[in-house]
This record gives sequence, C-alpha cells and structure tokens, in this order.
Amino acid sequence: MAAQRCGQEAHLALPGLEKVTQFEGAGSKDHVPGQLTSLLLAPCSYFLYYMIVFFQSLISGILIGGVYALIGIGLTIIFGVMRVINFAHGDILMIGMYMTYFLFTVFHIDPFVSIVITIPLMFLFGAFLQKVFINRALNALPQNQILLTIGMGLVMSNTVMLAFTSDYKILTTTYSSSSVEILGISVSEPLVVSFAITVAITAALYWFLYKTDMGQAIRATAQDREAAQLMGINVKRMSIIAFGIGSALAGTAGALISPTYYIFPQVGSVFTLKAFVITVLGGMGSIVGATLGGVLIGVAESVGGVYIGSGWKDVIVFILFLLVLLFKPSGLLGTSKD
Amino acid sequence: MNMKSLTANIRGIATLPLLLTVAAIILLFLLPKFVTSTYALHIMILIFISVIMGSAWNILGGYTGQYSVGHAAYFGVGAYTTMILLQYRHIAPWYGVWAGVAVAVATGLVIGSICFRLRGPYFVLASIAVAEIFRVSALNLPGLTNGAEGILITEVPPFKIGNAVITDFMSKVPFYYIGLVIAIAVILATRLVQNSKLGYYFQAIREDQDAAHSLGINLTLYKNAALAISAIFTSLAGSLYGLYVGFIDPGTVLDLGLSVQIVMTCIIGGIGTVLGPMVGAVVLVPFSEALRSNMIAQALIDSGLVKEDSPIGTFLKEQLSHAHVLIYGILLVVVILFMPDGILGFIKKLLASKRKETA
Amino acid sequence: MKKLVALLLAVMFVLPAVALAGTVKLGFINSITGPEAPIGENLTNGVTLAIEDLKAKGIDVDLVKEDDTGKPDKSLAAFEKLATRDNVVGIVGPYTSATANADAKLAERYKIPVIIPAASKEEITRQGFKWVFRVSGTTGDYAGVLIDLATTLGKPKTMAILNENTDFGVSGAKSAKEIAEKKGIKVVFEEAYSKGSPDYRSTLAKVKATNPDLVFMVSYVADAILLMRQSREIGLSPMAFLGAGAGFSVAQFAKEKEISNGVFSSTQWTEEAPWAGSKAWFKRYVKQFGKAPTYHAACAYESMMIMGQAAAAAGGDREKTREALTTGHWNGILGEVRFQDYDGYQNQRKAVMLVEQVQNGKHETVWPLKDAVKKPIWPFPGWKK
Repeated sequence: MAAQRCGQEAHLALPGLEKVTQFEGAGSKDHVPGQLTSLLLAPCSYFLYYMIVFFQSLISGILIGGVYALIGIGLTIIFGVMRVINFAHGDILMIGMYMTYFLFTVFHIDPFVSIVITIPLMFLFGAFLQKVFINRALNALPQNQILLTIGMGLVMSNTVMLAFTSDYKILTTTYSSSSVEILGISVSEPLVVSFAITVAITAALYWFLYKTDMGQAIRATAQDREAAQLMGINVKRMSIIAFGIGSALAGTAGALISPTYYIFPQVGSVFTLKAFVITVLGGMGSIVGATLGGVLIGVAESVGGVYIGSGWKDVIVFILFLLVLLFKPSGLLGTSKD
Repeated sequence: MNMKSLTANIRGIATLPLLLTVAAIILLFLLPKFVTSTYALHIMILIFISVIMGSAWNILGGYTGQYSVGHAAYFGVGAYTTMILLQYRHIAPWYGVWAGVAVAVATGLVIGSICFRLRGPYFVLASIAVAEIFRVSALNLPGLTNGAEGILITEVPPFKIGNAVITDFMSKVPFYYIGLVIAIAVILATRLVQNSKLGYYFQAIREDQDAAHSLGINLTLYKNAALAISAIFTSLAGSLYGLYVGFIDPGTVLDLGLSVQIVMTCIIGGIGTVLGPMVGAVVLVPFSEALRSNMIAQALIDSGLVKEDSPIGTFLKEQLSHAHVLIYGILLVVVILFMPDGILGFIKKLLASKRKETA
Repeated sequence: MKKLVALLLAVMFVLPAVALAGTVKLGFINSITGPEAPIGENLTNGVTLAIEDLKAKGIDVDLVKEDDTGKPDKSLAAFEKLATRDNVVGIVGPYTSATANADAKLAERYKIPVIIPAASKEEITRQGFKWVFRVSGTTGDYAGVLIDLATTLGKPKTMAILNENTDFGVSGAKSAKEIAEKKGIKVVFEEAYSKGSPDYRSTLAKVKATNPDLVFMVSYVADAILLMRQSREIGLSPMAFLGAGAGFSVAQFAKEKEISNGVFSSTQWTEEAPWAGSKAWFKRYVKQFGKAPTYHAACAYESMMIMGQAAAAAGGDREKTREALTTGHWNGILGEVRFQDYDGYQNQRKAVMLVEQVQNGKHETVWPLKDAVKKPIWPFPGWKK
C-alpha cells in the first residue's frame, strides 16, 4: 500500500519525467539519435508539459467555475432575502437538467436555446415552492428550515426517480466533446458558450437588481427585512420573486452543464454542497462575491486536482471554506453586519 | 416554554412514571429470553443504535442549541478507530471502543474550538464541511482506513474475564444487551444533564448566547463540554454499529445522509426532551425497514384490503419499495410544517387543547 | 410507547413464515433503488426471466425480493430477514462488491447457500467460505483478458490506470496493476477519482503528459462517457483505451460512437457469446423489457437458474443444496458453469471472458479470436476532428 502511494506522489511531483526516463530505458539500444534529441530536449519538454498541464487545468477550472457561479448566485439571492439555507438547491438544478433533456430529446431544442423556456418555467416552479412551503417556515428555527429543504430535495429527486427511473440520461449534442486547441491547450467549446451565457445572465441580473424598482425592493428586503416592510415593500411577494429567480438560475445552470455532463435523479447533491461553499466564500448575499467564489472553486478543484490528487478535490474546497468562515466570516467580498 | 418543560420534567420523577420506566427496562432485559427471532433482535439493535445517536445529538443540538449536521464524523471516527485497532493491531474491541471514544472526543474538541466561533447557519455549514473532510480523507487514505474498500471483520473475538468466556459474540444477544445498556446510559446522562447546573448553562446558551455570555457563562467551554458528552456516545454508537455489522466504509459511517438521519430522529420525536430521540427511533427505524422490505405493501395485500393482481396491488408491490425515500422526504416536510415540535410536542399540544375544552 | 412497540415487534417477527408446499422459496437481494439502481434493474430482469424458465421446467419458485439500496448495512438487514424470517433455501445476490462482501459472512453464519451473480471483487471468494458461490468472474479476470489482448496485438510498455474511488474501482485497479506488472508493463500513472465530478480534464491532461501506451479505466456508466468525451477534448490518444466492464460495456456507451469507437471493454457475456441460446435470450430480453441486457442480466439469470435447480433437486434442504452446488455443473447462456477451487478461490466459476470493441456505435465481440465476430481494430485509430 505504501509503495503504491509513493509511486503516485512521484507522478504528482514530476509530470513528464516518467516519459523521459522511460524513453531512455526503452530506446537506448536501437534509437541512438532519438535518444540524443530527447536528452537535449528533456528539460525543455519537461517544462512544456508542466506548463500545458497547468494552463489546461486553470482554463477548464475557470470555465467550469462560470457555471458554479450561476448556481452560487441563485443560492445567495435566496439566502440574502429569506435567510433560509436552501438544501434543495441542487435538486432544483436537477429539475432544470431534466427539463432541458426532454426539450432536447422530444422537441429537438438545443440546450443553449432552450434556456429561454427553462428560465420562466423554473421561475414559476421556484415561486410555487416558496409560496407553498418555505413561506410557512420563515419564522421556524434555522435547523427546521434546513431539514424542510432537505426533505423537499428528497421528494423532488425521488419523484423524478419514480417517473423516469434512475437511469443515467446522456444528452449528446454535436458539440458535446468538441474543443479548440490554443497553444497546445484544448478548450471545450460547449463550456466556452456556457461561460458566455453565464456572463450575459449575470450582467442582466445586475441591471435588474440595481436599475429597476423591483430589483431595489429585493435588495432592500435582503438588507433589512423589517425596515423594508415598514417602508411598504411587500416582503412576502419579494420572497416569492427571489426564490423564483434563485430557482431559475439553478435551472439555467442545469441546462448549461447538460451537454457536457450526465443527468440522474440524485445529481443535485453534488452541487448543493458546492453552492454553499461558493456562497459563503463570496459572502452570503453578495452577488459579485458568488461570481468570484464560483470561479475560485472551479479553479481550486481543477488545479488542486492536478497537484494534490483528484480524490482530494473536495477536501481542498472544504478547507478553503472553513478558512474563510473562520478568518473572514463575512466572505471575501461581504461587508460585515455584526 | 422551556422553564415550563423543565419544571414538568423535574416533577416528572413521580412514582408512576418511575415504575413504568423500571417495568419497561425489565421487560427489555427479558425480551431476548422470549423472542427467538434474530430478525426482531436485529431491528431492536438498530433501534438502540438510533436511540444512542439521537440522544447523543440531543445533548448538543437539543439542549445547547448547536445544530450540528456533521455528527457522522464522530460516529465514523469511533467506528474506524475500533475497527482499525481490531483488524490491523489485533486489539480487542472492549479496549478499542474506549480508544474510539478518546479519539472522537479529541477530534470533537478540535472541531469545536474551530466551529463554535460560528453561529446559526454558519455553524451548520461548518459542521457539514468538517464531516465531509473526514469522509473524503477516509476514502483517500487507504493505508490507514483501507479506503473505499472498507474494513470487513470476520468475527469479534470472544470476551473473556480471566479464563471464563463471558460471550463469544456468535449470536445477536450480546449486541442486544450492549446496545440496551448504552441506550439506558445515554438516557440517564441526558436526565442528569437536564437537571444539573451544567444543563442550565447549556440551556441558557441555547436560549440566548449573548445573554448567557453576559451572565458570565464561558460559551466556548460549555459548548465544548456538550460536544464532548455528545461525541462519547455517538462514537460508542459507531463502534457498536461497526462491530455488529462487521463492515464499515466511508459511504456508510461517514456519510452526510447519516448526519441528517441523526438530526431527523430527534426532530421527529421532539427536540430537547429526554423522550424525543427514543420516540423518533422507535417510529423511524421500523418504519423505514418496513418500507424497504415492502412489508407494508405485502401486509395490505395479505389483509385483503388490496387485491394482489389489481392495478393498485401491482403498483404497491412494484413501486412502494422504490418510493421509500420519497415517503421519508414527505414525512420530513409534513413533520416540520405541521408538527414543528415533533411527535411529542404534537401530542402535548393535542392533550392541552383537549384539557382546555373540558375545562 | 416503547414497551408497546417492542411487544408488537416481538409478535410480528416471532410468527413463523408459512412455507408453500411444492415450491422452493428463494431470496434475491439487489440494488433496486439507490445509485446502483440502473445496473440493478438488469439483474432484476434477468432473474424475472429465470423464474419463468424454471417454471417451464416444473420448478415453482416463491421468490422474496429485497432491496439493499447498494448499502452494506441495508443488505445485511435484507439477508437477515431472508435467512431467519422468510426461511429461504438459498439466496441470489447482492449486486455490488461491498454488499456481497458483507453478506458473504452472514451466509457462512446462517449456513445458507448464496450465489453472487455480478460482484467481482477478488476477496469475496478467497476467504475460505463454504456457503458462498460466485458466478461472476473476478476483477483479475477483467483486467487479465484485456492485457492479454493488448500484449498479443501490440507491444505496450506503459499503462495509465484511472479508476473511480469506490470498492469496485479500487479492486479493479489493483488487479490491473498486478497483472500489468507481471507482464512487464510499467504503470506510469494511477489515480482514483471521486465519482460524479463534472470535470476530469485536468486529470486527463496529466495522464496525457505521461504518454502511456494503454489507458485502463474502471468506471460506471455515466463517468465512462464523460471520461471519453473529455479524453477526446484533451486529445488523449494512446495505443488503446481499455475499460473494465461496467460502464464501458453498456449499450448507452456504445451509442455515443463519436467518443466510444475503438474502445475495448471486457465482459462476461455478449449477445454473440459463443454459448448456446445467447442470441435467443438476448432477443427475448429485448422484447420483454424494451432494452438491451448487460452481462449483469445474463449472470443474474444464470445464477437464479442454477440456484432454482439445485434447491429443487435438494428438496429445499440448505445443506443438500450446498452439496449440489459444489458438485454439480450446468450449461446455459454462460456456457458450462462449475464452482471450483483454484488459485486461492473457493466455489468460484472460472469465467471465460470476452472482449468487446465498439465499432460503428455497436459493441462487437473481438476476443478471444476464435469466438470473434469482428476483427479487433488496433491500435486506437485516433480522434476525428
């Protein structure tokens, strides 16, 4: 066991080195010229591999991070307005994925186009959840709210399982594994598109929250629920809208990763925990923070996966999370309210 | 409400409840003499483990108000310590279990000194994060934990005092008694805590941390004390589970689902009461087993209420077992929306409203 | 309250189960729900067909199905119930390695014959157990046949191993490493990834940097597709991609021909398997369930057929059933099955493994050459841009 792990560590430390040594051993008799060149090029190629692996992980981290950001923004809006930790967030995302899947397989609508349908539907779904369930528990103890959303998540994922079985659904588009190569680094095309859509949606959301009356009202509610109520803002209505927006964003994120990921009823749990980490990292309720947090987590996972081992990805993320909680509890960009 | 329930509990040590309790304990001790079905004993052992976990959590979550959703960490640490010592160091479990307790308390204090600075939802999230770190680490440290393959023990060595073999652990009965004794111990501990000065400090922290602090209660100290007591019993439950089942892996003893289940047992029974976790365990364990094994559908068919070949019958037979987690989820939502104080709280409220009507 | 429930429980469970005359009562434990359910469904269907065929042979099986949700503790509860409350003669299942390993111990304690249909972890039948039989091949079989193929068709010197961090993945990777090193292939990269991550690109880039001749992967369905998609993106193009069963041998994987063409996977059974009735059985399965079976379905079918016949011949006696399983041999869609003791195994079927390669979006049997339907394409032709 120990030997096995040692071997693994050696690879982690020196990617590319194996190749060189192996070449020397294997080709020493019949390929003398080859060996010479390889010896000359060894330090050079070692460096090149090193750089390629690094940038590869950095870029895919940033691109994946864009989608994470969208999930995080959704959660942060919900938390900001309601102070409710929504543990069903990943399951809402899962509903968005199934919606995208059926729009694609039944109506042949491209996932990136179908968000036009997914967004309003998911908004209504979220608003419904808020009106029927969460609004009843707004004054409950926080642990009860958490368990309520956990229960809702279980109901969602298991209803989907009964309806569509637990089979993995794979959504294959013509571009699902397409990539462009830039300087030896391959960049996934669907990820680039989804990143661009994320940026556009985030920008639109900003405009909505800062430039429209309703957006201002939502922000006021998030800042101080009671004061907002005194100022005549319909807080319950704002909560419904906020949960709707949060769900629409989670659903969109689901739609955007569908072409490059897979879909099954329990897929949400992967994203729920990530969403929290992102939100806390950026500062609960801060949209810029969540955007930054998403990208940060994407990069931490990707780069950490290369240099520490892909099995440790989650540990890296959680340790980062605890550090931020302890040393800057208001989040990287949040303003302290205490 | 809390002062009321407190005084009610103090007065509760009247003769009748005491007699009933003693009768119940005697009955439970005699049960294996009459019940030969190992399946029934199996369910009872699972109920005991659930009572131990729930009551242990209750001391921290119910009485001190620190809602940890990461208790799988202590359960898993206890189970892993005992099993690793038994499997790789050949240390008998009745020593290993205490090593498990020590390690769990030590980890608890480390985690506590970090996480107890946080409040409310932040504490909940931090407790989840810590438990997840333990789970992923156990997966990735095969040299210590055998990783994803888990630890499988073929048998528990016989327990001897001197040369006399007390038990060889070949049947379920010894596990039954161990479970029963620990369950009684944790309930006694809860009672003691509830009525002691320590308990008053805990409850003061639950009601208002800042007020408690200004009264001179050392928050970090008492929160950690509650966590330590909680970790002791959770770790014992973990070790008992590991030895009884004979197999542990990160996905079963360090899982987030387990943490949620622990909290659920308390919330469904009634949080912050001695009886709550017991009620929760007695309701949830048989219920989920009946759903898993399709016993409910079978019972409906056998009783003649539903015909086996009717559409409803086939649906129940084929789908109900698939739906057991769904029903669990619905139960959770319903309990929280309509009985926020759990089953016990709901019954109390019903009784109270009846009393009002008669008066 | 507690008293009452305890009493109720006692009454409920003490009542002995009523045995039907003239039938054999058998148990079946499977992952009907939970993360392993998609493959579990294959086992359920396989067993359903076996029950029909046993009936045609005049053996009525009173089958008690139990769900273990893929978790060892639930599986033990199910086993406990079957062994002591339902008093079944024998048990087929459970599906996964972790659950099978846990249940094997109980089989020994309760002296109840168990046939494990599809779990491949080597240790399960290496613990000297008398009551545990296994139809499934082992992880060593999966890796062995693939490496045989690779060393016959080419001269690979290096191999990268990428596996999911589960019991199945880890034991598969261990066997692969052991066998590769015996054959003089150097393992230049090995990593266990945590299942369900949307991004394996950085890990694959690292694999590419070690430039291995062979890439050996152990994954379930969805990750298999994801890994291959991202390998294409990254441009990872070794001499051959080798997949150890599971995710690489399902039809869903083959259908993604853009990324699955050319990938080898080892399996215990295929539609074109050289054994009598395979093709007809395949057709019957498709007709009845509307989808193609995996080898899991065939293994579960065969396990139930064997258990049903052995238990019926033994007149429902557990000890006699065990003897029948130890000494008997059966012929079915898996060819001849005998439970043998060899290489430290007890009651283990020596599985004849097949290798399939995805060609034009379909799994074709390419190995061993004498049973091959199509010629293997070697080396990996590279990615079409």
